[in-house]
Amino acid sequence: MAGVRSTLRFARALIATNLRSSLALRGAFWLQAAFMVGNNLAFFTTWWLLFARFREIGGWRLPDMMTLFGVVASGFGLSVVLAGGTRRLARAIADGELDPLLVQPKPVLLHAVGSASIASGWGDMLTGIGMLYLAGRFDLANLPFVLLAVATSGAIFTAAGVLFQSLAFWLGDVEQLSRQLWEFTLTLALYPQPLFSGGISFLLYTLLPAGFVGFLPVEVVRAPSLLLCLGAAGAALAWCLLALGVFALGLRRYESGNTFGARG
Amino acid sequence: MTAARVSRVSGKYLAFALAAARRTLAEPTLLVGRCAFLGVILFVFSRIWHVIGASAALPGVGERELIWYLAVTEWAVLATPPLFLSIEAEVRSGDVACRVVRPVSYVGAHISEAVGEAALRLALLGPSAALFAFALSGGFPADPRGLWLALPLVLVAAFVAILCMAAIGLSAFWIVDTSPFFWIWQKLVFVLGGLLFPLELYPDWLQRIAHLTPFPLMCWAPGRMALGLAPREALASAASGAVWVALLCGLLVVLSRRARARLTVNGG
Repeated sequence: MAGVRSTLRFARALIATNLRSSLALRGAFWLQAAFMVGNNLAFFTTWWLLFARFREIGGWRLPDMMTLFGVVASGFGLSVVLAGGTRRLARAIADGELDPLLVQPKPVLLHAVGSASIASGWGDMLTGIGMLYLAGRFDLANLPFVLLAVATSGAIFTAAGVLFQSLAFWLGDVEQLSRQLWEFTLTLALYPQPLFSGGISFLLYTLLPAGFVGFLPVEVVRAPSLLLCLGAAGAALAWCLLALGVFALGLRRYESGNTFGARG
Repeated sequence: MTAARVSRVSGKYLAFALAAARRTLAEPTLLVGRCAFLGVILFVFSRIWHVIGASAALPGVGERELIWYLAVTEWAVLATPPLFLSIEAEVRSGDVACRVVRPVSYVGAHISEAVGEAALRLALLGPSAALFAFALSGGFPADPRGLWLALPLVLVAAFVAILCMAAIGLSAFWIVDTSPFFWIWQKLVFVLGGLLFPLELYPDWLQRIAHLTPFPLMCWAPGRMALGLAPREALASAASGAVWVALLCGLLVVLSRRARARLTVNGG
């Protein structure tokens, strides 16, 4: 129990340090966040145009699409703000840059993913919240479901990122491949679920967990039920445990970079 | 300028282009990833048009034509290398100071490299796009002759996009991190360029705005040819491309002069 408390304290300290370091370059921080909001809104214009013309796609209307976009953007933003180091994990593994983390008395994975924060993620979260508000999902009764959906999406985004990047333990330099797999997951999660069926649907709940970062959490918000909530929380837990397990397994194969350096 | 000098100067830039093409070939994973991404996007949109019922989209245009439209636009967009990233990296690291003293134009060398890389990507992604479009739509568009006109227009599209990316890259001399500018530019290409579906599906007012910008040249102009043979529109797009290339080249000359002056000020 003391170990868990200490890890939570460490995670809190990492988040606080990252926030301070992001805000240290105030101009760059606001620029990145604001431009990401603009970027997301420009992207969503495509959906707005499509729904303005056709009203519905496979039974989905514009508010459903806004809910999906809101949950996925908020989840993705949460993931890159709190665990921005995930994107660099494969490079660190391949180059043997985990050495300084291995000799510290804190969980290596938490330290590696939590040691960076991406400022544009705040823009994603802001857009996501705005979309959920405009879709009418932000009333008090719905708030717990929205929070659960966003947390599920964020946790599974991070877990999937860790899994893809951990391939570097076995395959060497897979930075581009793992980044592409992550981007595929994000891209596919931003399309309405009724477009996918059969084998593709299976793929989106296994190899590329777009179903878990988008479709399942969005159902928690659209049609909340105890079963869906338990399913979403269980899926998040399972993906996180899987990521932890695979990373721990890979760490046994890790080879030091034998490089000297200073770490602040 | 004598013929010998022209040949010497163009030889330098050709060497940059060839070197960049060879570097691109050395990273096959990235090329395969791009082909796979193209396949995924075409698949998703083939599903969208299938679910909506393409007959509701545009008169005389079916699901097949819309899939081919997307194949052409994605081909043009994915073939353009992110040249702003290399300019930004050089500004960040200070390597730019070594590059600007070479006996070639700094921006010209970057553009040549991007052209070399884009040529290779076009050559590899083109057949993949055609294969995916054929497989997902079950054949060629009703009037496939337009596809021949799409070929030169894709080259214009890629070149205009390269010039825009060079301008975004040069902004690194002022703001260092250029990615926010790129995000906005990219999304304008998506929306005003008509990346995912033809501009004809947009409201009239938005179509008018789009046609005042260079963005339709980068997607809609070549993609439109997949909807049917339209030589007049192809010619108009080519003429508009020439105007935008001239304007963007002028902008790049001004920007690179100012960037160079700024580098001198910073460097002392």
